[in-house]
Amino acid sequence: MARFPWSKHRLDLDDDDFAEEIRSHLAIAQQEKMADGLGERDARDAARRELGNVTLATEAARAVWTPRWLSAFREIGADIRIGGRSLARHPGYSLAVFAVLTIGIGLNVAVFTMLKSIAFSPLAGVEQASELAVVHGETAAGRAVRLSYPEYRALRDQIQAFDGVMGTVLMKANLGRGRGARQIWGELVTGNYFEVLGIRAALGRALTPADERAPGRDPVAVISDGLWRRDFASDPAIIGRSIEVNNQHLTVVGVAEPGFHGTAVVYDVEVFVPVMMGPALGFTFGSKGPATGLFDEPSAPVFHPYARLRAGASLDAASAEVDTLWTRLRRERPQADATARLRVVPFVRAPGGAPSYAMPTLAVLSVMGLLVLAIACANLSGLALVRGISRRGEIALRLSLGASRRRIVRLLVVENLLLAIPGAMAGTLVAAWGIPMLIGYAQRLSAPLRIHFNSDIDGLVLAFAVAAAAGSVLIFGFLPALQSARVNLVTVINEDASPRSAPRGRLRSGLVIAQVAVSVTLLVVAGLAARSVAAARSADPGFDTRQATAVSFDLKQNAYDEARGRIFQQHLLSAVRADRSVEGAALAVYTPLNMTDTRVDPVSLDAYAARPGEDLAFMWNVVSAEYFRTLRIPVLAGREFESRDDPSAEAVAIVNRTLATRFWGGATNALGRRLRIAGSEWRRVVGVVEDLKYARVDEAPRPYFYVPLTQVYRSSVTLHTRGRGPVDTLVGQARAHVTRIDPDLPILTARSMADSTRGALIFLDLTAMMLFLFGTAGIGLAVIGTYGLVSFSVQQSRHEIGIRMALGATRAAVVRQFVARGLRLGVAGALGGVVCAVAAGRLMDAVLFGISPTDAPSFVRALALVLLSITVASLVPAARAARTSPLSVLRHQ
Amino acid sequence: MARTPDDDRLDLLQGTLDMLILRTLQWGPQHGHGIGQAIRTQSDDLLKVETGSLYPALQRLVKRGWLKADWGVSRSNQRAKFYRLTPEGKKQLAREESRWSQLVHAIGRIMKPASAPGAEE
Repeated sequence: MARFPWSKHRLDLDDDDFAEEIRSHLAIAQQEKMADGLGERDARDAARRELGNVTLATEAARAVWTPRWLSAFREIGADIRIGGRSLARHPGYSLAVFAVLTIGIGLNVAVFTMLKSIAFSPLAGVEQASELAVVHGETAAGRAVRLSYPEYRALRDQIQAFDGVMGTVLMKANLGRGRGARQIWGELVTGNYFEVLGIRAALGRALTPADERAPGRDPVAVISDGLWRRDFASDPAIIGRSIEVNNQHLTVVGVAEPGFHGTAVVYDVEVFVPVMMGPALGFTFGSKGPATGLFDEPSAPVFHPYARLRAGASLDAASAEVDTLWTRLRRERPQADATARLRVVPFVRAPGGAPSYAMPTLAVLSVMGLLVLAIACANLSGLALVRGISRRGEIALRLSLGASRRRIVRLLVVENLLLAIPGAMAGTLVAAWGIPMLIGYAQRLSAPLRIHFNSDIDGLVLAFAVAAAAGSVLIFGFLPALQSARVNLVTVINEDASPRSAPRGRLRSGLVIAQVAVSVTLLVVAGLAARSVAAARSADPGFDTRQATAVSFDLKQNAYDEARGRIFQQHLLSAVRADRSVEGAALAVYTPLNMTDTRVDPVSLDAYAARPGEDLAFMWNVVSAEYFRTLRIPVLAGREFESRDDPSAEAVAIVNRTLATRFWGGATNALGRRLRIAGSEWRRVVGVVEDLKYARVDEAPRPYFYVPLTQVYRSSVTLHTRGRGPVDTLVGQARAHVTRIDPDLPILTARSMADSTRGALIFLDLTAMMLFLFGTAGIGLAVIGTYGLVSFSVQQSRHEIGIRMALGATRAAVVRQFVARGLRLGVAGALGGVVCAVAAGRLMDAVLFGISPTDAPSFVRALALVLLSITVASLVPAARAARTSPLSVLRHQ
Repeated sequence: MARTPDDDRLDLLQGTLDMLILRTLQWGPQHGHGIGQAIRTQSDDLLKVETGSLYPALQRLVKRGWLKADWGVSRSNQRAKFYRLTPEGKKQLAREESRWSQLVHAIGRIMKPASAPGAEE
């Protein structure tokens, strides 16, 4: 007997007492009947008859005591028990549903986790990181530019809508010196960086505004928990120790809390240095004056400030305020740089950030994931429908015993949830196991620099998994459940339920059409994406990656000044070129196809008047003689750099084809023209070379130019060599040449050009891999599902086939008729699918590379596959049905 | 289906059963079967209480605190559960009786408007 402590009544009927009372009632009644002269047996039967339905009476008495919520709760408990038993009786069905849901939900959880790590919760350890706002400048042509330090200060101090504004700039930093040095990601940050993000120090202290007083004044750093553990063996005495970053000694004042990986999404930042130490670390931010004055220079671009919005303030309000501020600043110092206006955007749209690059692809993957889930649901719907028909008997029995139809629907939904929730959990496990593999793959490609994805399976991901499961149940379980609960008692009990009764037939046809439509859409989207990835991967990068090497080092890491550095570079090139196996050797500052847009500078062009608002700013590279020959980049006109382009000779430059044709009307016209990087001297164009893919394989052609290393010294360079023999040997030889000249100079990376450029394919590779998974899962599900539904409907028509054949139809005619029926549904679905796919393709246009969103082969392949599977699905069961004797079919009924 | 004599019996108004049970118990404790029989005989077999309604009604009245139940032994020496009125139940019976007479009076005025004043005397 249940009783809650707070309840003055018991919550349940005292069953034993009640049964006893009924027994006593019977005994007394029987005694009275016997007194009236009936025999003992007759008296007992009469008493029983008078008593009526004891079960109903007991239920009514129970209802007196038990509150409604408690009985509902108990009924659901019973539903779970009954559902569990029923599923256990049909392990095949249960396993199939479970497996399909595991795949469908697993893929979606994986994509959602990536989406989360990029968009919803991009910064590990930072509360509401996605609600950070980013302020960036924009030129009249729409190019995003960084803000100067004075501009940052104005934003920080004057915008009421902001609750805190900090600045940060990502840097590739050299940690240590000599052979043990390595490259890590670092951030140059304003003093309030940790405060605005809400990140504490696990050890020592975080950086504070007191660390941002004047350039070079505070040589301190906070390191990440990861760096502390890996490089300093979790040394508790780390505080106060000195580390060397870009040859600058910095005192470690704190270790950031574990789980914080900086604010550069995807990059694992390991050291945080006050921005005022930037010049001391070799960062001049394009300042033309003395490096120490750059923080007063209103046109030296430093960073994109990040801001927390004040509670209740909107992005629009902040934007309006920033606009006003900008107008005032512009009045105070007219036209200092190319910045035309300021933009306030959400974190995800930060210029140059991984999110803005990855979002379109992730959006496509999300849509595909949902399509796969939709197909899975359509499949399960079909299965549930088939099962619903086969269990009409059971449902009819329950109905006739007094179960309400609502109760039956609830039972079926509970039964589906019993499969869906474990399916969601298993799917989450699959994702939890698969994502680290993908990340590990990306990490290997980006080594030695570290990457980090905030891809933990957290509450948000779990909630998504459960929502996906519940949504699936609603879609795949509810319709068939309604359908099943609509069982007509009389027809079922008389066992003459027509298998082709109209409503069920319509639902089934609808399912086939819907499934075909979704399948076609998915197949087209997958096909488009796969062909786009293939096109990007096979796109000509403009140079020959085979038999070429890339060995990077930074002469500053062994304390070379410019004079000694020049001598080293000269020595190195002559030593390598003296090697008989080497066909070409050159030095360059940037390696092409390394995923990041390198430095962009405003440029003036000879004989070209920029249109008002036109933004002439291009990426450029510093390269030595023989660079184009070594990488096999065709020289279209003029010559490459030579040793005679030394500091005493005329300043020269080489431009690419796009720059030459866009501004000077062709390669030969460009020769002899001049260009000037803002703030430096005019350079004569001596050559025009073919375009390359500079950052990514899927980029559009863009203007680009080169200046000679002999005229513009850089300490951090990459040695490229080309030769015969295995490329690994070539890499070893190139590396040996560097260390032979200076054994203590750390080699930052040494790899083949193929490996070096593979990083640019990471994203495409990951996307291709996901697409392959999605495509395979989707195609498999679609074909199996379509086959199942069509063949089931053919089987249901065996009766009809029997009659037709008994009346003299030939086998071929019967088969033909069923295939035609299947194809009619298929074509209807395919038409719907083509319409959806065209719409989806239009959405995908932004992420497609090299193919049109109405790419014919993708459509043709998808349609062919789907229609073929429908034909087979109708043909096989129809042929089988036609082969059986009409008599046996008819008798079976 | 052929009509049975039972069809002449009257269906009890909602809530009336509770009142009849309380009324029956006014003369002393009684068990379930006895209550049913009493209602039947006192109504000259016009009212027959179904067991399916009687026992849930008894549970309802016990839950409301108007009845108390104890096991005892019947006149014919059978173990049986006896119900008796609680003081609270007696008050409830009084309330029900006055409400019932009001109801009868009101319905009577509607059904026989002309003779109603006379019938009241």
